[in-house]
Parts: sequence; C-alpha cells; structure tokens
Amino acid sequence: MSTGDEPRYFNRELSWLAFNQRVLEEALDPDVPLLERLKFLAITSSNLDEFFMVRVGGLSALVEAGRRKKDPAGLTPSAQLKKISRRTHEMVARQYACYRDALEPQCAAHGITRVSPEELTKDHHQYLEQFFMEQIYPVVTPMGIHKEQGFPLIKDLSLHVIARLKPEAGSSDPRIAVIPIELGLDRVVRLPLPNQYAYVLVEDVVCLFCDRFFAGQTLLECVPFRITRNADLSVREDEAPDLLAGMQEVLDARKSSDCVRLEIAEDVTRKTLQLLTRELGVADSAVYAVDGPLDLSACMALGSLEGFEELTYEPWPPRNVSGIDPVHSIFDQMKQKPFLLLHPYEEFDPVVRLVEEAAEDESVIAIKQILYRTSRRSPIVAALMNAARNGKYVTVIVELKARFDEARNIEQARALEREGAQVIYGIRGLKTHAKCCLVLRREPDGIRRYMHFGTGNYNESTARIYSDISYLTCDEDLGNETAVFFNTIAGFSEPPRFRVIEAAPLGLRDRLIELIDGEAVRKKQGQQASIMAKLNSLVDPAIIDALYRASQAGVKVRMNIRGICCLRPGVPGLSENISVTSIVDRFLEHSRIFFFLHGGSELTFISSADWMTRNLDRRIELLIPIHDRAGKRRLLESLETYFKDTVKARRLLPDGTYEKVRAGGRKKRLRSQEELYEVAAGRARRAESARQKMFEPHRPQEAG
Amino acid sequence: MTESIRIGADTTPVGIRTVAVIDIGSSSIRMAIAQIDGVGCVHPLESLQRAVKLGEDTWTNGSIGNETTEECVRVLLQFRRVLLEYGVTDGDRVRAIATSAVREASNKAAFLDRIYSATGIDVDAIDEMEVNRLTYLAVMPLLTEVAALRKKPALIVEVGAGSTELLLIEDAVMTYAGTYRLGALRLYEMLETHHTSPGSALHVLISSIQRMLDEMRRTVHSVDDPQLLVLGGDIRFALSQMDKEADRGEPREVSVKELEKFSDEILNYSVDELLQKYHLPVPDAETLGPALLSIVMLAKTFGAKSLYVATQTLRDGLLIEMSEARTWEERIQEQVIKGAMDLGRKYRFDESHAVHVASLCASLFDQLQAVHRLDPRYRTMLYVAALLHEVGNVISTRSHHKHSMYLVMNSELFGLSSREMKIVALIARYHRRAMPRATHEVYGTLTRDHRIIVNKLAAILRVADALDRAHQQRISTVQCVLEDESVILTSQELDNPTLERMALKDKDDLFQQVYGMRIELRSHMKVNF
Repeated sequence: MSTGDEPRYFNRELSWLAFNQRVLEEALDPDVPLLERLKFLAITSSNLDEFFMVRVGGLSALVEAGRRKKDPAGLTPSAQLKKISRRTHEMVARQYACYRDALEPQCAAHGITRVSPEELTKDHHQYLEQFFMEQIYPVVTPMGIHKEQGFPLIKDLSLHVIARLKPEAGSSDPRIAVIPIELGLDRVVRLPLPNQYAYVLVEDVVCLFCDRFFAGQTLLECVPFRITRNADLSVREDEAPDLLAGMQEVLDARKSSDCVRLEIAEDVTRKTLQLLTRELGVADSAVYAVDGPLDLSACMALGSLEGFEELTYEPWPPRNVSGIDPVHSIFDQMKQKPFLLLHPYEEFDPVVRLVEEAAEDESVIAIKQILYRTSRRSPIVAALMNAARNGKYVTVIVELKARFDEARNIEQARALEREGAQVIYGIRGLKTHAKCCLVLRREPDGIRRYMHFGTGNYNESTARIYSDISYLTCDEDLGNETAVFFNTIAGFSEPPRFRVIEAAPLGLRDRLIELIDGEAVRKKQGQQASIMAKLNSLVDPAIIDALYRASQAGVKVRMNIRGICCLRPGVPGLSENISVTSIVDRFLEHSRIFFFLHGGSELTFISSADWMTRNLDRRIELLIPIHDRAGKRRLLESLETYFKDTVKARRLLPDGTYEKVRAGGRKKRLRSQEELYEVAAGRARRAESARQKMFEPHRPQEAG
Repeated sequence: MTESIRIGADTTPVGIRTVAVIDIGSSSIRMAIAQIDGVGCVHPLESLQRAVKLGEDTWTNGSIGNETTEECVRVLLQFRRVLLEYGVTDGDRVRAIATSAVREASNKAAFLDRIYSATGIDVDAIDEMEVNRLTYLAVMPLLTEVAALRKKPALIVEVGAGSTELLLIEDAVMTYAGTYRLGALRLYEMLETHHTSPGSALHVLISSIQRMLDEMRRTVHSVDDPQLLVLGGDIRFALSQMDKEADRGEPREVSVKELEKFSDEILNYSVDELLQKYHLPVPDAETLGPALLSIVMLAKTFGAKSLYVATQTLRDGLLIEMSEARTWEERIQEQVIKGAMDLGRKYRFDESHAVHVASLCASLFDQLQAVHRLDPRYRTMLYVAALLHEVGNVISTRSHHKHSMYLVMNSELFGLSSREMKIVALIARYHRRAMPRATHEVYGTLTRDHRIIVNKLAAILRVADALDRAHQQRISTVQCVLEDESVILTSQELDNPTLERMALKDKDDLFQQVYGMRIELRSHMKVNF
C-alpha cells in the first residue's frame, strides 16, 4: 500500500527524539525570552535523562537478552540503538552549542554570569574556599578505589567527580577516588557581587579544592561525570503479592542497574575515561563528552531566578471564563448546566472546589477519586482527608506506578488511609491513568452524582502550565457508567459493557477504531465525514491503520500531536488526506480531544488516553463524550485554533522530519496559545462586566 | 365519650427511596441499585457483577465449598460498602435472593447462615416458581408495550446458568410457567467433568438440549406459532455483536438464521479464544456457546423464524416488586387468584361461599391495615387461603381444615413461591378448630415472623368465615371501627345478626389472642347490646 520501501510507520524513539528537537528549537529561538529559553534547554536535558533510563535502558535490555524482533518500522533493537545513539550525540552537541554560543553569553550580558575557576578574583577564591570547607567538605566523602574491592556504587543521575592521584612511589597503578556531590547541595553557588548574579557551579568548587581531600598527595586530574542507569525494571506483580512492598523494592532496585550513559567533561584524559568506561561497563557509543556543565537541567533554576522578569514570558494568568460563581454552591451551579474548562487559560479552582465543598457538604455521602500525580501539598488530598474525617465514604485510587512519583504517592496514600479513606492501590498489571472524580450527593429528589473528568492530573500547579480540559457535570448517564467504572477499578465488579463512556483496556481501542472506520463508511456513502484529533502521542499500529483506511476512503484527518507520531502522513495512496502538526510553546500541550463529524452529528470526546499501545492495553483510561453544546463548541473552536497556528506549529513531513508552518498568502500570523489566551481573557472580561451589570453593589450615599 | 378512629389503608406518600437487589446466581453475584420515585418508577443507579463458582461447586460436588462461600462473603461485603456509599443502610431496602446453585446445594442452610452472620445480608434462596414470578414481573411492561408480543402467544425464555425458564403468555395471561434443570453452566460443567473430546462435545451438547426440548414440547404442545422473547446475558451479548446499534431499552428482533450463524461461530472458539477475542468475563465465556445453541435449537423446535431479545433481568423483577407501583403486581395477583379459583373448582369447593369469604377477608385486611401492619402482598395470600379454606371437604368433612392444608401445600400456583404456599395452606388450616401451636407439624417449621403472619391472617379468616356462617352471603360489606380495645364491625344489610354474632363468639378467640382486641358485630339498623 505504501510507496517504495518506506515502512508504514515511523520508529517511536526517533519520533520522540524529533519531539525533543522541537523543544530544543524553542531554546534556540531568539524570539523566546531568554530565561524561558534556559528552561526549554533544561527540559530537553531532563527529557533525555528519562529517555535514556526508560527507552534506551529497555532497548539495551532487549539487546542483551538477544532479542531481534523488529518494531513496526522494521528496526531491530540494536538497529534502533544505533540510530538513537547517532541522533542523541547530535542533539547533545546542539544543546551545548545553544548553551555555549547563545544562552550563556546572553545571560552574561544581562548580568547572570557563570564564573569559571580561572576567572575568579582572589577575594572570590577565598570566599569559595571558606564555602567549601564549611558547606562541602563536611558532607562529601571521597571513595577510594582499591583493586580488590572493585568500583564503588555510583548513584544514578547524580554528579560525581573522579580524582586521579599520582601513583605511590614504586608503583605504576593509578590511584583513583570518586567524590559524590551530595544531592543536598545546591548546584549553583552564588558569589557575593552586587547588582548582578554571578555564580560558580558546585562541581567546579569541588574540583577547585579537591586536593584538600588528599592531603600530602599529588592530584593529577579532577573531572566531573554523571551516569544514567537502566530504570525499566518491570515490576513482576505476581511475584510480589503485596503491591506496596513491591513498589518499594523497585525504588531500591533503581540504584543498581546497568549503566546506559556516561556524561563527562570533554577535557578528561584518555586514561581516566578508559578507566571509567571499563569499570562501569559503558560502551564507547554511550559516552557523551561535553563542552560545558553536565546536566543542563540545572538551567531550570536559573530560568526561575527572581528579579529578571523582563527576560520571561509576560504572565497569562488563568481567568474565570465559565462564569462559575465562587460564592454560590458549585453543586447548584453544576445542576444548572455542565461546565467545560480550558486550562491553563481558565482557573483550576472549580475542580478543587468540587472536592473541597463535597468534603464539607452535609448532603454528600461519598467521594471517589483517582489520583495519579498530585502536587506536594495537594489541596485535593487535603479535602479528601477532611471528607473522610467528616464521615463521608471516601474511596481513592492511588496509582503507585506513576513513574518517579512513587515515593510521594505512597506517602499520600498512607496519610489518606490513616484518615479512614478506602485506598485502592491500582489494579494489578495496569496503570490507572484516567482522571475522574465522582461525588455522590443525596438531594431531596434523589441521589445525584457530580463528576469531574479531566485530561490532566489533579495537580493545581501543573494545571497552570499544562493545556488540559476539565468537564464538570452531573449528567445521569455519565453518572451511572462512572459509578460502574469506579466499582470496576475498585475490584467490586466485573468490567461491564459501556454505552456512553469507554475505558481502556476494555473497549477503548475497539471503540476508537469503530469511530474512525465509521467516518470511512460515511465518506464512501457520500455523507459528511472528517476527523480531528489532538493528543500527545500516536503509536498504536491498529489505530494508525484505521486512520490510513479513513484517508484512503477520502476522509480528511487533521491531527495535532505534540509528541511521538508513528503515523506517516501525506503519502499518496496511504495517507495523503492526513496532516499532522505539533505545537510546542510556553504551555505544555497535554489535552486529548477527538472529533468525528459522523454525518453531521459531530461526536466530540475528551480523553485521558494517548493512542499508544501501552495506554490502550495496559492502562486504565477513559473516553468521555461531550454532549453539551456549549462545551462542544468551545472544544471545536480550540481545535480549529491549533490548526490555524503559523507561529509555533510544525508540520510532520512524509520523511519524518518537521518543518515550521509559516504565515503567508491567506494564512495570517497566529500563535494558537496566544489566541486561546486572548479569547479566554476577552470572554472573562465580558462575563465579569455582565456580572457587574447584574449585581450593582449597594453603596451608602455620602452625607451632604 | 368514645373517640372513634376510622381505620383505613396507610396512604402516606412515599418519597424517593434508594433500594438494592442482590441476585446470587450460579456463576456470579450481581447487584442493582436504583431509586424508586414517589410514583413508583424505578430509576437505575448502577449495577455490579462479580464472578463466583457456586454452580461449579454445587453441580460437581453437590455442595458449596468453603472457599467459594468466603469469596461470596468478600463480594457481598464489598457490595455492602457500595450500599453504604448510597446511604442504603436499612435492611428493608435490600432484597437479596439466591437461585438454583444455592437452592440445590446440600449445605444451603449453612451457606446462607454464614452469609448472614458475616455480612448481615439476609439472602432468600427462592424456588423456581418464585423465579418465574419475578421474570414475569420484569417482562410484563414489555408485553403491553411491544406490539409484536401482543399479537401472538408470547413464549418467554431464559437460558440461565443453572436452569432454563419458560413462560407462556396468551392474551396477557400466563398460561404456563416451567423451569427445566438444564442451564448453560450445567452443560459446560458436564462437558468439563467428562473430559469430552471437542468433536463429541458438540454432540453431547445437542443431545442434552434436545432432551430438554422434547420435555418442553410435551408440556407446552398446545402453543401455536409463538413469538419468542429471549432474556439473559448470553443473548444480550450476541445481540450487541450482531447489531452494533442495539441499545438498551426497546427489545430488538433478531432472525434465528443469523443467530444460528453467530452461535456456530462462537461454538468454534475455545473459552480462551473467546476471552481473547471479546474480553468477556470468564463465566460469561464459558456459558456463551451452550446458551446460544440452546436458544437456537429452542427457536427451531417452536418453529420461530425470529425472536425478540430483551434486556430485562430477574433484578428488574425484584426492583419492580420493591417499587410502590403495584400495577404489575396487581396483574400477578389476578393470575394468582385465577389459579386459585381453578384449583378450588378442581376440588369442587362451594364457590359462592369461598368468594364471599375471600372478599370479606380482603375488606377486613384493608380496613385493619393499622392493626396488622402487613405488606399488601399478604392480602393476596389471605385471599387465596380464603378461597381454598374448605377444599379439604373433597376428601372428608371431618378435619377438612387439615385436608385443605395438605391439598394447598401440594399444589402449585403461579405467582406464589412454595414458602408462600405453605403460609396460605396454614392460614386455611387454622380457619377453624385448634389455635396454632408451635408443636403442630408444618406450622412448627416456620420462622417466628412467618408464624405471626399466619396467626394474624388466620384470625381475619376466622372472622370472615363467621360472618358467612350461613353460607348464604347475608353480609357482603362491613365497616370496621376501632373503639377502645375493640374492633366494631357494622353492617347495614343485616337486621338480625344473631347467627353471625354467635359464630363470631365461637371464632374470635384467635383474633383476641393475636391482636389483643375484642371483636364485636353490630347491626347498623338498631343498636342492641
């Protein structure tokens, strides 16, 4: 079906790397404020960390196990690793070029200066020496390396310094020590200089005074390095019946798995590098020698420096567009009509309020809530505890497997249990990724269920930077099925056949394919048909095939996919009716919205699920139809806005590369996030003035 | 000054109630939670289902194993938690029943006791007649709503896990109800235990089903070209696969030919393949093939080209029963009474006396609601007992009340369970002579609650019977008035109630004992003491 020898799908790792490249382009973009560029650079760096731990780690494990099975793009694990290695080396070179040639000099021009050890004044040298002796020396312990004891355990992702000392008299064996730079230390050490922000990196301070650790010996070399280990240890749940304990084992196990990357300063001597690669078992291709500071995610802290607001985005505070009145009961307002919120343009408060009010409301009997990732001092968790204390039946499904958030989630789960909430630690073998909350309220005319469905996490901090959808409703059909959905994940009931909503891993893929194929059938019968979808990743081959079928039937498919896309668009005979764009801008595009024209009935959905095989098979996900006309219209408007973007949109080409969509001709300059913000702000203003017209505050007349 | 209180039925309007029904079946425990509004409409809130191995235990070992019992306890405890979340804490709002797997288990009583002591849920192991009645209640609304089911005799079929139910409805009247001990899970277990080879498995299935169909055909031979209405999870699943647009509510028509095609396809798959292909719960995957095959063969046996699939379940019947809307319940009452009349005629009863006493009983039951406080359902049981109280005469007039009891106990009436028939039989038995005593056989087997019900109703029957001592139907209406510690009966039709008063004196002993009230008959025309 496809032309030539090109495989039907793109490799997902390379597609992800292309996404990280798009983030890096934001860091390179001179139109982006300087500190935001630093943040984008930091994101590419932490993104890569996770990519190495999970994806490269996983592929390495496959190669080690001798697996040669090809991925849908036709690549064996080792072929993938080879391509990844080439791309990541290129990417790292560009990251450091960006840092060295653009960001660091420009920061310096604005008074944010990294001072290298050679540039230090005498005073500063003294200051740092004192700092070293007081703050670093007492907490840092070098580990001497002795042949018979083997190499010490090197902590994943932490900075270390390797020190090479002159051999003892009469011996030629190198003497080596590794100095871990404790996590408790700040990466950046500020120098006492007025009117500017001058700093030295902590590893430079350690190197500068490293000889203090080795009194009476000659220090030959001192280099910072950092390793990344394979994190993708699958939790074998059937071998660990107590899920909670099993998770803690994984946390422990992370410290000692295979090394998949070694980052080290470029000026390291061959001798030291060889020693490290040999001892850590690192392949040459896994060595990243960099010209600049290790771990650029430290730029995040610089990007958030106070006092440099002119170097950041102008604030776009969330607004109250929906007209939800903070004074009146949220239940009464939801009873009037459902509310659809577009975060972060709109406030997340109503969602928090739903749970907070439910905790205090006398008529509320029960609250059920899924928690995947929440903030540290989550008001939602606090409200749930309060509700449990107030005698409500609180059921919380806490997902312990949320990657890298496990420790926090376990802690919160235990706190909830202590308050009397029923805590369910997810379903075996499945990650609970759906976002929903259900409040059961006994009202004079019977039980009514209030729900929140979301595409993002219950985390009011990320809700300010992630673009997500919230839907607040008390629709009866949704209520019936959501109640059943909760019973199913709580293990109280067998999975039912849903009619209104749909859930993974039950029937979500089938339903999506049915919806996509339904458009193809309608198109063939001469009815109106088209598909629009916004998601983070498209990987699942069965869904991609359905989209190809739709394209072949002549259905226009427009997709807005922020991250990975394995679908190859624009190939004649296969996918010429499919277009894919990606938006990377100040807010992280995170919402999943699906639209099917369906002969004019305009089926519109929000979902927690990306169209990835793992989401459809191994996660609990939800697909929620939006029947409410106003909500549907807002979703459609926002979808259309994304497709009109000519500033931050990049189009995916048939060869897998992305090119910027440019304004010109009939296409006007439009930055979708700006447009969405303006529209939201305009509506909020109009709603506000309408409210003021309605409720003229009474002011006492002034006497005289 | 005596203050008189008019005694009438309690008509306090009932607000919205949240209720739940639990159905402990052969392969799963299900619960439906619903709201019943002021006018008795049922609004479903949610439903739960959990697989259990009751049928497997009962049909392979004869009894329910400890592990299965404890699994049932766990499931019911979880269900109870959901009930708490809906604020359903009152036992009256939960009706729990168990069907064939529990009923047939040799350790039924121990199982039910364990469930009760661990969960506080009082499960009633209902008999086949009761299942038939509930199914009938569930589908009654359809029989009037769906035109196709009105035109022809309707044959309602449910191939359950443990048994197959067959109801025949002609001109809106139930003319036959039967339960056959052949169910899809039984069939599956039979194949499993005999390790049949795949080739001969189908053959064994077909011949087992054929035996049941032959038996069915013998009992309902008279029905001509019936319209089939099929219930059950298996057929609902088949429908959802064959007709993607099918939605809940309206029954859908399916051609037998297409169903056969689908059933053949399913029978070709192993259970594991079905699990893989359709993501079915295990018990559903096990019963799907045998159930569909049974339905197809049954349809062919009755010469049906198409059948209707309805989504109603036993639980709908239970919910309707719990709802205040008694419209469908009334239809059943008519059926029960019609059946009782037939039975009475069979035993050559004094029809006019029987009917007269029955209607007096009904009138007294209604007027004494505040005194006896019994569910309206017992009105029908009292009515039936009154109709049949003297059928024992057919055997011998001596001790005819005892003969009545045995005859009634050994009869079947559609709409009444065997336990209810026992109560009816005892009411009839105590219409004269000895007062109920715990040492009496049959009576002694009742629970205390049921003994009290028998006492209360037999007391009313004695009064009504006394009012027609002459068997001349001289008093057709009476008014009850509560006065102090007495119930005063007045009748406008009688100027000389001496005979009845004497009879009443003879028969008010039980009434006085049960209600702690004297009962007096006054003539309205002239008050004499």
